[in-house]
Amino acid sequence: MRARPASPAAARVPALEIRRLTKSFGAVRALDDVSLVVESGTVHCVLGENGAGKSTLCHLIGGSLAPDTGTLRLYGKPYAPRRPADALAAEIAMVHQHFSLVPTLTVGENLRLLRLPDLARRVDRVADEYGLTLDLGARVADLPVGVRQRVEIVKALLREPRLLLLDEPTGVLDPVGTEALLKTCRRIADRGGAVVLITHKLGEVARTGDTATVLRGGRVAGGGPLAELPAERLVPLMIGRSADSLDPALSGTIGLTELTELTGSSMSKTPQAPADRPGPSALRVHALTVRGTDGTHALDGASLEVGHGEIVGVAGVEGNGQSELLAVLGGSRAPDEGTVAVGDTDITRATPRQRTDAGLGVVPEDRHHDGCVPALSVAANLFLGRLGQFRRAGLFLDRRAMRRAADTVLTAHDIRAEGPDTPMSALSGGNQQKVVLARELALDPLVCLAAAQPTRGLDVGAVHAVHSRMREAAARGAGVLVVSSELDELLALCDRVVVAYRGRLSAPVDPHEPAARERIGRLMLGAAAEDSARASAPTVAAPTLTAPAPADPATPADPAPPTEAITPPTPPTA
Amino acid sequence: MSAVLDELAAGGVRLAVPLLLASAGELLSERAGVLNLSVEGMMLTGAFAGAAGALASGSAAVGVLTALAAGLTVALLQAVLSVTLRADQIVTGITINALALGGTTYGARLLFGDGAADSVPGFDPMPVPVLHDLPVLGPALFEQSALGYLACAVTGALAVGLARRTPWGLAIDAVGEDATTADRCGLPVRAVRYAVVLLTGAVSALAGAQLALSEVHAFSDNITAGIGYLAVVAVIAGRWRAWPTVLACLFFGVVQALQFAAPALGLHVSAPLLTTLPYLFALLAVSGLVGRSRAPAALTVPFVRGT
Repeated sequence: MRARPASPAAARVPALEIRRLTKSFGAVRALDDVSLVVESGTVHCVLGENGAGKSTLCHLIGGSLAPDTGTLRLYGKPYAPRRPADALAAEIAMVHQHFSLVPTLTVGENLRLLRLPDLARRVDRVADEYGLTLDLGARVADLPVGVRQRVEIVKALLREPRLLLLDEPTGVLDPVGTEALLKTCRRIADRGGAVVLITHKLGEVARTGDTATVLRGGRVAGGGPLAELPAERLVPLMIGRSADSLDPALSGTIGLTELTELTGSSMSKTPQAPADRPGPSALRVHALTVRGTDGTHALDGASLEVGHGEIVGVAGVEGNGQSELLAVLGGSRAPDEGTVAVGDTDITRATPRQRTDAGLGVVPEDRHHDGCVPALSVAANLFLGRLGQFRRAGLFLDRRAMRRAADTVLTAHDIRAEGPDTPMSALSGGNQQKVVLARELALDPLVCLAAAQPTRGLDVGAVHAVHSRMREAAARGAGVLVVSSELDELLALCDRVVVAYRGRLSAPVDPHEPAARERIGRLMLGAAAEDSARASAPTVAAPTLTAPAPADPATPADPAPPTEAITPPTPPTA
Repeated sequence: MSAVLDELAAGGVRLAVPLLLASAGELLSERAGVLNLSVEGMMLTGAFAGAAGALASGSAAVGVLTALAAGLTVALLQAVLSVTLRADQIVTGITINALALGGTTYGARLLFGDGAADSVPGFDPMPVPVLHDLPVLGPALFEQSALGYLACAVTGALAVGLARRTPWGLAIDAVGEDATTADRCGLPVRAVRYAVVLLTGAVSALAGAQLALSEVHAFSDNITAGIGYLAVVAVIAGRWRAWPTVLACLFFGVVQALQFAAPALGLHVSAPLLTTLPYLFALLAVSGLVGRSRAPAALTVPFVRGT
């Protein structure tokens, strides 16, 4: 256990006091009578599943939304922000889940947007105090996510805030970046500031927090000093049932695996032997190369094989070619070189219809944009690819048959919708994902299922359902490829894990070997292989930030491959 | 031959000046995320109000003031619709242009009797001593009216004073690229957008007044004839950068001037055909032949807080 600063005296005014906050969106009550107190000099964790109301709370404190009822007090004074500028004026800084950086501007220009006096001096001070250095001339769009996160944090610290709010800040970071961020949080609190860390990962909470509040369904489910709240008590508060009932993959997505490893208890894992079947593998990706518009390689000779009945995971920091791999599989992007085969069919340049005929199901990363048509009904979304089955009189759609078939799917997959005619957009994220997954799993034959971030943004129940479905598909003999940024999820779910780094895929790692996590972590940072990692020190030691050449202005959304190993900030000599 | 070149350069600049002024405003507006298609309507209203004001008062300077007032009124309508009410910017732009065309045509019938105002008090050319004797450049740049010089000065001031390296220019770019981020940085997103739309209204009206008071000393129906749309195209062809947009405006000006220079060149092409030339080039410019362009990310996207 790390040493904690002495708990603040009871007489001290709390940094933030939230009383009976309520906020509704239409009929949905996002926050219901929420109260909490954050003392200065502490890291206060706000825990909860997706949809528990954490981000709404964040918006209310930051002035992006106004509460329906309830009050806030900041260092004893009433605080009622009506716009983000009010929060800034009250010396509250926020680090948002989705970056608040203008990608087409340089780092320096983004900082200048704050219009602070003595900017250069402030930048130097943050660099000195927290070891967070920046290349002010680099364009944000060219930076890897880890560095963008650092810019975001420096931006927050420039104002010397009295209260710092971080909304799920580690979602885009690799293990080293996460560690550095948590250390920064700790340092801010140790200097007397107050930090609110919003997260759904228990491991982070245990390492960094002093106190916690758990939200569930918009209400405070519990809270208090973390010394009195071990994980066994936090988990039931978060998900409404005990930790023992969770399977390993599920606890992985809330960071519980990591936690149990930290505290020493062991997690039982049930390794699944990949079924050995004769014939070609379910998916064979060979030497795939995709060039970006700026001449860099988004995929650079990536190869991968998924056997029948096997679940293979692709780990890695986002922006290392995972999106392009899925785009090539889904057919939205033609590779420049290389081949893709599903079973014994080559689908490198096949049309979407030929892909489904070959038995390839794809669950895209962005289910709203690429996975479904939000304005159409659930039934239409389920059967859009095979409307021919519901022909009536050769010309019209047999809507009744379609509705009946959809009803069966809704029941079988436990999809909570009012009915098959409900528009897709009215479903929760978890249920939308279940619809997309159900559609892809219904392929006959299903040879291979490729899913990108299949559980992102889903609550525990939906995560469980999605995991079970993917396991079932593998048990029935399909190959399953899962791309996820949640390493713990992959470790618990997969038979083998490969790591994407700068457009290449590593040799598979067995997640059941004892040091699998560390090995994958190193591979995510670019250690070419176990041996070379040992022979030459990994790039972690060299924090030089080389600003890449400006990308083509037409493609600012394409994150350039990381140009830097994300390094932990070196603390100043204390 | 040199006479033809003089004619082409002088005519090109002359025709480019209102275009420059209008696209300077349009560029700012689009950089802040408002696609201001109503530039055409703002110019036309400015030309009409300028002519009417000058005619009523007998003073061209008063005409400029009435033009500004009318342009700001149209701009305020556009800003309320697109920024506050978050209406579709393409629809509001086109509708305002149709409204301006109908309104000024009707107004001309009311005020000018037969619909055309001739011999409106205007601005006469003021050649700059010495400089106007320069070959080609002299007649092109240094024989303008007072309003023409003012137009060039305003264009230059906007291009330099609101470039990205200035605090205001940076704020405009941030609002147009990512309004939510700008809001979180404490920038007044809606105020910035109102400001640029109103500024566009003012300079577009000035451009219209330049047409009516410096060029022809008259107002006729639809006197702008699509120059406002050309200003929007110049911004796209200039890929949302100041100096390429200036070049595009000058190019369009010269292409327009061709119709006057053609007879001297011995070209016998019908004038109506030549008037279509700038629009043909405009189509080529936006269909990617000039180079791939990237619009500000939040262009035409209204800002709503809390998402």
